[in-house]
Amino acid sequence: MKSKILALTAGLLAATALASVPAKADVKIGLIGGVSGPIAAMAPAMISAAELAISQVNAQGGMMDGEQLVGVVGDSQCNPQGGTDAATKAVNIEGVVGMVGPHCSGAVLAASASVTVPAGIVMVTPSGTSPEITNIEDNDLVFRTVPSDDYQGRALARTLIEQGYGKVAVAYINNDYGTGLAQAFRAEFEAQGGEIAGFAAHEEGKASYRSNLADLASGGANTLVLFDYGDGTGLTMLRQALENGFFETFIGGDGMKSNAPINELGAENLSTFFASAPVGEASNSLETFNAAFTEAGGDPDAIFVTTAYDAAFMLALALEKAGGDKEGVSAALREISNGEGEPILPGEWAKAKELIAAGTAIDYKGAAGDHNFDENGDVPGTFAFFKVGNDGFEVVTQMK
Amino acid sequence: MGFLELVNFYIIPGIVLGSIYALGAVGITLIFAILRYAHLAHGDLATLGAFVAFAVVTGIGVSPYAALPVAIVATALVAVGIDKVFYEHLRERPKIITVIASLGIALMVRAVVQVIWGVDSESYVRGISRPDVYFGLRIRDREIYTVLAMLALVGALYVFLSRSKWGKAMRAMSDNPNLALLSGIDNKTVIVLTWVIAGGLCAAAGVFLGINTELKSMMGWQMLLPMFAAAILGGVGRVEGAVLGGLIVGLAEELSVLILPSEYKAATAFVILLFMLLVRPTGILRGKVL
Repeated sequence: MKSKILALTAGLLAATALASVPAKADVKIGLIGGVSGPIAAMAPAMISAAELAISQVNAQGGMMDGEQLVGVVGDSQCNPQGGTDAATKAVNIEGVVGMVGPHCSGAVLAASASVTVPAGIVMVTPSGTSPEITNIEDNDLVFRTVPSDDYQGRALARTLIEQGYGKVAVAYINNDYGTGLAQAFRAEFEAQGGEIAGFAAHEEGKASYRSNLADLASGGANTLVLFDYGDGTGLTMLRQALENGFFETFIGGDGMKSNAPINELGAENLSTFFASAPVGEASNSLETFNAAFTEAGGDPDAIFVTTAYDAAFMLALALEKAGGDKEGVSAALREISNGEGEPILPGEWAKAKELIAAGTAIDYKGAAGDHNFDENGDVPGTFAFFKVGNDGFEVVTQMK
Repeated sequence: MGFLELVNFYIIPGIVLGSIYALGAVGITLIFAILRYAHLAHGDLATLGAFVAFAVVTGIGVSPYAALPVAIVATALVAVGIDKVFYEHLRERPKIITVIASLGIALMVRAVVQVIWGVDSESYVRGISRPDVYFGLRIRDREIYTVLAMLALVGALYVFLSRSKWGKAMRAMSDNPNLALLSGIDNKTVIVLTWVIAGGLCAAAGVFLGINTELKSMMGWQMLLPMFAAAILGGVGRVEGAVLGGLIVGLAEELSVLILPSEYKAATAFVILLFMLLVRPTGILRGKVL
């Protein structure tokens, strides 16, 4: 017994010693995502996509003089408190010089306002889609590789009108993501002549939403537009709406394009369920990424993996250009992807590193798009409308 | 809105939800009455119970109702273990220390659930089940079982507390611990019994929540506030009060949608809690503690 305890103590001591002496000059970036909470089903693929970018950087010469790029994973729980906690830990304890994430809009807003902007750290979110993020007073420190829901909500509204849905009810989760998306959708849907027969927010985490659904259905619509997370409340609502026959057709936003509804409810019950989500435009970059991510054991069709990869790779490029110092990262991020210079495809780290060292301008062509940031750090995007097929989600139509 | 619609979409879900709250609230009220502190890990113990049943369901392919006894026994043992390891040596210290410790336990239990079963949503049975219609009432079998099981479990507990020797000992401890100790009641056994009952009911609450919705690692934590509201509303220390309180909170949450914007549904339990503490802190049935 005694020897066991001794061995354990020695082991712990060794582990502490190893942990407290990092390699001399690792460059750390935070990978903050909703590991637990309502997008738990999406987060692992997004984080492994970002880690793919990091491993490519390290395999092709690392940062600057061969330092390793290290991704520090943190759990934002997809809520403002969790996002702030995880970002504080990453910035103050781990000493990251840039951040990919948080994944959820509420976490992005809270973490940027209270942690990263005051600390002067650049944040690139791959999936924070709320229109509110456009308006953050961020000293040019908050970027995103995913288009704002202002575009998605409007594109979805136009698509629904085109597909002949004239009258819908809207249920949305009461947070920055749900509210932003729902309002953009409503404005465009009504402008296009559609009728909103019910429009209500709901809190997450309740066991029953039947009264909410009954209330929404009382407006007479057969279609429910549900802006929520497919691994959280969205799943509960979808189940209860299907079981009770409140609505015939269900339309989700990007948060609902999760595998959780298919796994838990069965594809056979979801023939009238559709979801919109941002998609990468077909390009060399996307093919290159898809091949690399498949080889690394990932699913390139999972949602937000392209944006997560691009966010990590661009942050690495910007850090390289800024010399690993957080000061110049924001300006460098704009320079490496402003549409001018030698094109760089996903994974071409060695080539980019050489060009940066030579002082040549480069232009990153991302897997999810060209990522030429506008003045708010936003990017335009393309969306598609998905249905549930036998092998998961299938594209019905592109959305404009 | 017709009467049937009111019953189908507001009253029935409210009663089912209320039954689940009641199962949890009875445990909270017992711990409050006998050990005299608020047990904040109660919700996460319910999560643990639900996931133990999930392991049995996926492991040997039985229905969740068959897995319920296993979950009840396992969670009861865990509850006793937690008390032995963490709460016992805090017994003589101010109660607030145990309360805060139980918050830590809540986080630990949740972390264990997340490590073992992951953070994705799960369900006992894949697919959806549409309700049967009885005279226009849309009821699912699982909803009937939930309410019946709650009544059976709480009924058995009520008989145990009022008839058996150990039940009387528990009530004596609750009325006056020092006097109970002086009259020769073994308070250690009473405490173990309390945890067995509270843990078991907790697991039942978790399993029935899982049967009626999905299993998530946050499911129990999110039930904690309504369960506390139910315990206080009914009168702390009163088992029948906790049942009444649970049903009222469940119904109030569902019916609130008729009057308030639906985003305030989650606040209903808060409002009930505040209102009762202000107006009648002893609860509807005049609780013995507080």
